[in-house]
Amino acid sequence: MTFTRRLSPAARLMGAGIVAGALLGPMVPASAQQQDVVFLSTQLRPIEEAQKVRSVILKGFPGKVTYLVEEPPAFDVRMKAEGQAGKRTISLAGALHGELQPLVASGDLTPIDDIAAKLKDRGIPASLMDLGKLGTQQQMYIPWMQATYIMVANKKALPYLPAGADINALTYDQLEAWGKAITEKTGKRLIGFPAGPKGLMPRFYQGYLYPSFTGGVVTPFQSAEAQAMWAKFKGLWQYVNPNSTSYDFMQEPLMAEEVWVAFDHVARVKDALTQAPEEFVTFPAPAGPKGRGYMPVIAGLAVPKNAPDAAGAAALIDFISKPETQVKTAAEVGFFPVVKATLPADLSPGIKLIAEGVDKTQNAKDALPALLPVGLGDKGGEFNKVYSDTFQRIVLRGEDIKTVLAAQASVLKGLMEATKAPCWAPDKPSQGACPVN
Amino acid sequence: MNALRRTVYFTGIVALCAWVLVPIYFIALGAFGGRIGVFRWPKSILPTDTSLAAMQLFLQVEGVGQAMVNSIIAACITMALSIALGAPAGYALARFTFPGQNAYRLLILLTRAFPLAILALPLTVAFIRIGLYDTAFGVALIHTALALPFAALVSASLFQAIPRELEEAAWVFGCTRLQAFLKVVLPLALPGIAATAIFAFVISWNEVFAASVLTVRNRTLTAYLLTVLAESPLHFRFAGGFLLIVPSIVFIFAVRKYLFAMWGIANR
Repeated sequence: MTFTRRLSPAARLMGAGIVAGALLGPMVPASAQQQDVVFLSTQLRPIEEAQKVRSVILKGFPGKVTYLVEEPPAFDVRMKAEGQAGKRTISLAGALHGELQPLVASGDLTPIDDIAAKLKDRGIPASLMDLGKLGTQQQMYIPWMQATYIMVANKKALPYLPAGADINALTYDQLEAWGKAITEKTGKRLIGFPAGPKGLMPRFYQGYLYPSFTGGVVTPFQSAEAQAMWAKFKGLWQYVNPNSTSYDFMQEPLMAEEVWVAFDHVARVKDALTQAPEEFVTFPAPAGPKGRGYMPVIAGLAVPKNAPDAAGAAALIDFISKPETQVKTAAEVGFFPVVKATLPADLSPGIKLIAEGVDKTQNAKDALPALLPVGLGDKGGEFNKVYSDTFQRIVLRGEDIKTVLAAQASVLKGLMEATKAPCWAPDKPSQGACPVN
Repeated sequence: MNALRRTVYFTGIVALCAWVLVPIYFIALGAFGGRIGVFRWPKSILPTDTSLAAMQLFLQVEGVGQAMVNSIIAACITMALSIALGAPAGYALARFTFPGQNAYRLLILLTRAFPLAILALPLTVAFIRIGLYDTAFGVALIHTALALPFAALVSASLFQAIPRELEEAAWVFGCTRLQAFLKVVLPLALPGIAATAIFAFVISWNEVFAASVLTVRNRTLTAYLLTVLAESPLHFRFAGGFLLIVPSIVFIFAVRKYLFAMWGIANR
């Protein structure tokens, strides 16, 4: 009996759990508020950015918006599941070009040509609008905001720049010499790349390294230029912090001074730049023999099929693509306008650094824009893996360059043939699947 | 000799406490140390220039309160269901021999064999059709499925550890099977069941993927915060981590007595 008395609080606890669960569970309504526009986004996820969207950027919108964020895999599952089950909760989807692409094949997006027609006078460049068709004849998304990748350097690294080098027109040779000088003087490897599991390193190969050295991404995958390029990059890697293979965002290693010179997406160095703008400089990625490759990043706004509030979504798209909202977006979160808009002169110092870096990248004399992979559908991840594997085998494991390139080229070829994706810039246009020579 | 033993004993205690407390202390330090503090090196052990800014922003994020409530609801339902289903299953495994017993034991574990990421799409579609989508109850059902194998197997070994003779003695004195279970076996097993409940609670509290795919507005706290946490500045991660471990610690602290009682059984 003593046992029962001593243990009865446990029983009570259990009982309370059961009662609370049984009472509260069914009472939670599926959706308490039906009047708002649900805006689901894979962008602007970090907590401060999401708060800025809710409390600053979308503040002037007349209706009520519920801004939700989600990681890309969950976003994909949700969009497809809601489509298959025939019940939508999402009225507006904001995601990267490549994340919206698979939703066309699954039939989860509504063509929004009418909205596009209404936004004609906003001055969205035709090339961006074309990307928004996602390979179809109709407008599938409206460009939302853009970004790109830049280099950031701690000012302590500047004295080691090789003589005669212009930081805004670096070449890969000069970057290597710079890294070498830093390593020789400090004894540390202080260049950094986001080659961690969630880092955006594949974009560096596809948008920067390959275009700069070979003038293409897919077709010259195993060309002589590509072989020379990997040898060069392997040389550069001697001066790259070996921890790079665990970096997902470069802002932390930059702030902790684990690295002095880093390459990453602007959103992923923003925190360092806004925290300590006086410590850093921004500049474009280096150039190779074929030019200065760079990859613009486009996020778009799409309306799911059978959206519960399509009219609200249209109004929200209209609001977000107003020049003043776009400028606010740039000033608050560092993603840049897709419409014609002039950024104010009084940007905060950190955002100003980002804006300068982006501007110098886009307007470099030898700029060579490389588009996001188009037409790969849901094979985008495998496409990235081809490049990451090539990097790992050649640079980290030191395998023979020619052998690795030949092996990976056949994987790439299979991928292109399976998806029948035609070439995209900077590769030369192709009839049918993009060839891997 | 005695003094030496005492020294070793206390050193052991201190080391074990430090093992648990030092990381928590550093998380707290990061959470309250402000934005720049987390990058300072060498780290100061004492809390200098504390700031509540990160914590405040967290608590001000729209919907954190609601998410917390959802988390508690889901965790409580998970706890209740996994005990209600797992304990009888465990009892059956421990006391009865039936054909296919071993296969059954294995089958229970199979619910953990499929990664959720693969099941996510069909599961979400089914949940939408049934009408469980975006409810804490739906999330709790999935979490119960995840917690059930542990609940069943842990309680099976619990019941096995309680001598059958005690139960038989109760029968001799006129108890029915049910009465014998309720009056003799259950009280002895309760500490272990409480531990199983904690386990179920923690599984539900920490699970992210199912919770975020299956809900839109009614997110649990982990789904609401954790998905964005990995990409937020470091001091927010510390603040979020701190916020997420506090309820678990409080819960475990509240039921610690029964946990120790369970070790008592095991040692007998």
